[in-house]
Amino acid sequence: MRRKVLVGLACLFAAAQVIRFEHTNPPVTGDVGAPPTVQRALRRACYDCHSNETSWPWTASLAPISWFVHHDVTEGRRRLNFSSWHAYASDPGTELQKLKNIEKAMAEEDMPPWYYRLVHPDSKLSRSQQEAIVGWVAEEIAGRKSAPE
Amino acid sequence: MISMARGMASVFAVFAVLLSGQIVRAEGGDLPVVRFHGGTVEPGELVVKAQTPFRLRVVNETQDAIEFESFELNRERVVQPGAEIVVYLPALDPGSYKFFDDLHHGAAEGTITAK
Repeated sequence: MRRKVLVGLACLFAAAQVIRFEHTNPPVTGDVGAPPTVQRALRRACYDCHSNETSWPWTASLAPISWFVHHDVTEGRRRLNFSSWHAYASDPGTELQKLKNIEKAMAEEDMPPWYYRLVHPDSKLSRSQQEAIVGWVAEEIAGRKSAPE
Repeated sequence: MISMARGMASVFAVFAVLLSGQIVRAEGGDLPVVRFHGGTVEPGELVVKAQTPFRLRVVNETQDAIEFESFELNRERVVQPGAEIVVYLPALDPGSYKFFDDLHHGAAEGTITAK
């Protein structure tokens, strides 16, 4: 019985490998103009899912982990893509909204997600890195409050 | 002499105010508009000229805040109940670009078609 279950799981695992996703890093056409300290922190904690500079881990080729990685990167890039920051900036209101989203994520400490931090321990932001990002975002928001609606 | 100068200045000021009012009205009236109301958006498909930057008026006629979101257009804007905003959009290649209310999933969805 136990052997049958193991064989069944092995078959499922093998079958799952058929569903594959392409790992793409589209061209970087722009980037957010943040101070170097902030840039380093953002790259460390956010860029794998929120930019076109994803470092695809080897597990990203192994189903079912690959499915989750693909979902997180696709959704992450849709919601906030630092490589498309210039596109946001062409609409002052959108740029302001993206900054507010970062502010909210920092305040709620829900980014990067816990499961990402688990496999990427170095992505956890230090207190000083968090403060640097929060300070930069607050400054940018204050500077854009007068932008036309 | 001074009173005449003041008089002229007043006349110019009045004309300036009137003129600025006309410009604001003309801009607002000329912009393409999408209206969110009752879980729908009108028009469902907005046709614009391709390869020409434009500004879009987004009007929220609902009782709740909405979020005008388009992944394809890289736009995300919150619109308070009863308020309206102007969204700046770049020159678009011919094609269709979806937008939706990200605060009410499955509700209002529309398309901007550039021709």
